[in-house]
Amino acid sequence: MVNPVSRREFLNLLAATGGTAAALRAGTALNLLPGSASAASLDLLNLGSNQRKIAILGGGISGLTAAYELSKQGYDCTVLEASHRCGGRVMTLRHGDLIDEIGNRQYCEFDDEPHMYFNAGAARIPSTHRNLLAYCKELNVELEVFINENKTSFVQDDNMLGGRPIRNIDYTTNMRGFMAELMAKAMNSDELDAPFTESEAETLLSMIRSFGDLNENDLYSGSFRAGYAEGGFLKHGVQKDMIAFRDLLKSRLGRQMMGANEGDTGPILMQPVGGMDKIISGFLNHVGEQVKYRAMVTSVQVTDKGVNVAYDQDGVRHSLEVDYCFNCIPTHLMVGIDHNFPSDYVTAMKYVRRGEAYKAAFQAKRRFWEDLDIYGGISWSNTKSRQLWYPTHGIHKAKGIVLGAYDYGGGMYHTMMSQEERIEAHLADHEKIHPDFRELVEKPVTIGWHRMNHMLGCSARWSRNFGRGWTHEEETLYHTLQAPVNGRHYFIGDQISMHSAWQESAVMSAQWALSHMDAQVRAELA
Amino acid sequence: MLNFLPLDARHKLWRLATRILPVLAVCQLIPFTDAAEREPYDDRYCTTCHGTDGRGNEGIEAPRLAGMEDWYLRRQLENFRAGIRGYHPMDTAGIAMRPMAKLTDDSIADIVAWVGSWDYQPAEITIEGDVQSGELLYGVCATCHGMDAKGNAAMGAPALAGQNDWYLVTQLSNFVAGYRGRHEDDRYGQQMAAMVGTLTDESAIRDVVAYINSLETR
Repeated sequence: MVNPVSRREFLNLLAATGGTAAALRAGTALNLLPGSASAASLDLLNLGSNQRKIAILGGGISGLTAAYELSKQGYDCTVLEASHRCGGRVMTLRHGDLIDEIGNRQYCEFDDEPHMYFNAGAARIPSTHRNLLAYCKELNVELEVFINENKTSFVQDDNMLGGRPIRNIDYTTNMRGFMAELMAKAMNSDELDAPFTESEAETLLSMIRSFGDLNENDLYSGSFRAGYAEGGFLKHGVQKDMIAFRDLLKSRLGRQMMGANEGDTGPILMQPVGGMDKIISGFLNHVGEQVKYRAMVTSVQVTDKGVNVAYDQDGVRHSLEVDYCFNCIPTHLMVGIDHNFPSDYVTAMKYVRRGEAYKAAFQAKRRFWEDLDIYGGISWSNTKSRQLWYPTHGIHKAKGIVLGAYDYGGGMYHTMMSQEERIEAHLADHEKIHPDFRELVEKPVTIGWHRMNHMLGCSARWSRNFGRGWTHEEETLYHTLQAPVNGRHYFIGDQISMHSAWQESAVMSAQWALSHMDAQVRAELA
Repeated sequence: MLNFLPLDARHKLWRLATRILPVLAVCQLIPFTDAAEREPYDDRYCTTCHGTDGRGNEGIEAPRLAGMEDWYLRRQLENFRAGIRGYHPMDTAGIAMRPMAKLTDDSIADIVAWVGSWDYQPAEITIEGDVQSGELLYGVCATCHGMDAKGNAAMGAPALAGQNDWYLVTQLSNFVAGYRGRHEDDRYGQQMAAMVGTLTDESAIRDVVAYINSLETR
């Protein structure tokens, strides 16, 4: 006979195998950054008749935040941008745009229409990223809701059901039903020790039933939640057949499916109408004239009085003497630029690893997904291309841009390929979901962030142990880089945050540095 | 084809087609309608990784180009382009370089000339080792690279003095481990791979690099 497990033990077991404990840990890791509640509360001193010169190295979102805020207060700002465009990893691709990937330069050949764009970097704004949202509001950047999870999109795994793609809703409804049945069994056993009052137990059980749509016997026997096999409007709906639990367990994609609405993608997500770089142009409407393009920084020397910056532009070396410097050049590139930073700073700069995220997109000749009841959202597959995003925008128009690959962790697989190999890999992967995908798409673009000129990496990776989180040493290195050099030079960008790869982190790192500098300027002028 | 037309009309049509078709073919290759407004690019992107004036960047494992002999730089760019270098899966930095070397002969010539125009400053010393022990080990190296480690074009051996020491360590380790210099078309690499037998462990490599560090640069 199997030893009965007490209810307390069962719950402890759940917690230990990734329930509560994992949730708590994830909560800490994914929680909003401290101070995220301080939206638009930046209270910088206006210089009045005083003068201060500022150099901002890099025209990404953090640099532009600094330029915008300081210009408002009368600072004389110069933004040095190494590439031909501002925005950094906030990059929207449209007709004719250059993709400056070293070794794989491309021009985007999408049709020239407002909805035919691809957000090749930042693509989603959670409603809790209130500092970024405050700028969207202030800069008149129109927003629309972004559809992230879509129950009509597909899940495909060669290991599951012979590789036949099934709808997200079939996967999640059945998976939840079986999970609920297991939980209900644990709650229903008389032999179990009760950590709950009768009323608590009843409440919990009712939630478990609801979670999985269990029948009166607390068993899962399929659910109308997955939609109908037929009928449903003018005739009674016919319930779909259940998919066996064992079959679903052949795939590990449940990790994506069950967590789609948690963490950073839990809040309502948004995107600017017309492309993520509308935020960049919103800033540039105010500070555009301060930006020098194709200006590569060659030296950053911190002195007692300020910072001397040298840069190359049009084959000429220029110099710039400023009072304060805000630097969002990726740390791995800054190592190779002349500087006089202290050695602990250099150690920290060398520690940060380069992100490897990779994305690709295709122009669809027609919006074939809408014929399949799919409007926005993501299909997941157990292929190297991983994700297929259907555009939220441009509904019912003739064409659209689909994301054909997004590998945030292991992007080197595709990055190492030639352009032709990358495209073929994505076509072959997505044919498993949409059999005629190859014929339905054209004009591909691919972006290996690890090789994009002037960046050579996606978001900074501080932690070497992704599963275990930051070590004490890593936190020390991080605080070293966050602190200004001699009170004059500040590193900014999402690289100076504990939650890289989000625009909110870049904005907040700039705001932190601005507040710090502001306190110094107030003291100087007092 | 077009038999309903009189013969001279067909002939005129044919002559017209021979003039228009090549033009149409070229137009297809060059999207001239908006080529003018497209953002231009060139291949002078080396300093993104190789740092200010090509002095090297340890943060991204990109070695010093400044001071590198033009013949050596050209040969290595051609080797990367041909896949003769950066082919071994363990040579991660070499693999990273390969797509960067998808260059035309003209671009390579332009880059080599550009690199030659850079201001040269000695590399920072980052490696410590036993200089005396390194001097003994360097004896073999001197045959090709010279007593002063300033290279020998006739032997195809580049200067070592003044290069980033961490890069010398990586490359010597690669030669020892067989990650570089084993490609059948890499004649000079093979020559080098045959010479590293005396570098039996990591400390020997560090010692010899420490000795090179002690030599005068340029």
